Amino acid sequence: MSRVIFTVAVIIAALAFPHVITSNYFIHLAVLAMVWMIVAQGTNIIQGYTGYVSIAQGGFMGIGAYSSALLSLDVGLSVWLAMLVAPLITAAAAVIAGYPSLRVKGHYFAIVTLAMNMVIFIVLVNWIPVTGGEAGTSGIPAPEAIVLGGLEINFERRINFYYLMLVALLLVMVLVTAVVRSRVGLVLQAIRQNETFAEAAGVACWRYKLFAFVFSASLAGFAGALYAHYLSFISPAPFSVDHSLNAILAVILGGSGTLVGPLVGAALTTALPEMLRIAETFRLIIYGVGLVLVVIFLPRGLVPWIGDMFGKLRRGAGGSEESL
Amino acid sequence: MLVDLIQQLFNGLVIGSIYTLVALGLTIIFGILGIAHFAHGSVAMFGGYLTFFFITTLGLGLFPAMILAMAVGALLGVGLERVAYYPVRDAPPINAFIIALGLTLIIEKSNLIIFGVDQVIIPTGFNRVFNVGGVTLPELRIYILVITAVLVVGLTILIQKTWMGRAVRAVAQNRPAAVLMGINVNAVSMFVFGLSSALGVAAGVLVGALFAVAPGVSGGLVVKGFAVLILGGLGSIPGAIVGGLVLGVSETFASAFISSAYKDVIAFLLMIGVLLIKPEGLMRRSVAR
Repeated sequence: MSRVIFTVAVIIAALAFPHVITSNYFIHLAVLAMVWMIVAQGTNIIQGYTGYVSIAQGGFMGIGAYSSALLSLDVGLSVWLAMLVAPLITAAAAVIAGYPSLRVKGHYFAIVTLAMNMVIFIVLVNWIPVTGGEAGTSGIPAPEAIVLGGLEINFERRINFYYLMLVALLLVMVLVTAVVRSRVGLVLQAIRQNETFAEAAGVACWRYKLFAFVFSASLAGFAGALYAHYLSFISPAPFSVDHSLNAILAVILGGSGTLVGPLVGAALTTALPEMLRIAETFRLIIYGVGLVLVVIFLPRGLVPWIGDMFGKLRRGAGGSEESL
Repeated sequence: MLVDLIQQLFNGLVIGSIYTLVALGLTIIFGILGIAHFAHGSVAMFGGYLTFFFITTLGLGLFPAMILAMAVGALLGVGLERVAYYPVRDAPPINAFIIALGLTLIIEKSNLIIFGVDQVIIPTGFNRVFNVGGVTLPELRIYILVITAVLVVGLTILIQKTWMGRAVRAVAQNRPAAVLMGINVNAVSMFVFGLSSALGVAAGVLVGALFAVAPGVSGGLVVKGFAVLILGGLGSIPGAIVGGLVLGVSETFASAFISSAYKDVIAFLLMIGVLLIKPEGLMRRSVAR
């Protein structure tokens, strides 16, 4: 029950946010944070639930962003359609990449996906006729305005895009929750805990792993598409390995293998570097130190830690046990 | 055509020997502690800058400066192990990886504050160029091969012949048994980090002498190092040597004969291919993961 109240409260807060804090800069940050929340939620599926650390999420985000941008610019597809096709293209790329790489485990898998991200990045930089190289692709249209009951909603306005992002994020959350709670989700967690045992119990693990990898990649692709149409300009830079690592960071920081964790983590990894801007030269050093400290002292992430705290408080007050 | 081939082979071996140095450090750390030490590249970069500083500001010669920088690097490595990795030794490996990312940020940005943003080329004074039957052999590149060979031989003697080296191998093979035999695993970890970081610094110096050290060089170095590990097999020292040379040569050939823009893509495809055909690496027989 408290979970439902909490969810509703968060959604109301998110709806009210752009009216309470009207600064364009903060709304911009919130939109970016939501993009990263979707990417992190994808990372969480493969890393948090399945136990395979993929360092290719940034690259897949790039595939989604460029396919959606190019489909709407060069092919002339409607932006809405392009944004739906982009995750499918990303998924196809992920099948090709995942089928061979999922044959290896642990660090090998992490390093192979890292190499894949670099391959994607190099192609984005060097395939100049299509991607525009390092100079990037500009003039990407925003989604076409929709008319609701005589009211035209124009997505070139930042606040409207904020709500579009919010709807997309909610859809993703519903989808991810459904997957995690389903039998598939249970199998994924079984693979994380003991793959050999799951295999012995008659589960065709490779299918589930491939599903997790492709699903997480297509979420990243979807986020990339939204990102491209929001900024109307993309270059290869945001799709480098650094940003894959950022997504992993968000998951670890928030709490991997929880549904709320990646949301909190992505919000923090977007906000913290900005907040630390005051101490310009030292900001990334402080960020790095904070990172090391969090991993050493809160190895399970913030959300499970807060959950434990609440649990302790309640037990102290004699209430029932319920964690986030 | 044959001259071309030999020329590219030589160039590839030079670059490959630098990759080998980077990979050796990574592979020993992985073998002992199971950590993917991502900050290794930034330690190498820091070492390159430090050597440049010793040469230009303190007026030291190349080799004294390099040895001094390797000593500082070793201390830095021991410090990293104590402060950052030791507390997470029992946590899942991904936590150590995140720590490594944090360390990368800290070292790179500190480096930026200490040494500035400019790229530097380490002056060596080795400017002669030999020509053997049409193959160009710059003096510097020959020295790089020699220095790498000396370091590799030194490392091999250290690991194979000394008591500490035996302890390192014992921990790599079977940690609990090593502990039961009275080996101080903490000391081994520190030793390994010190040794690896010194090798990393040496690699940074060679990169700085051959090309340049710049703030962005560390990521590329460490990723190449990991690619070598995959090629040769994680935790295998002969694997790091062979893998480094194979990667260097294939990359040079790819850039000379196929496309220089896509040379890294070709190198990574090679790595993925090896992984698929022989997942345990070129130089390993048993699968121990």
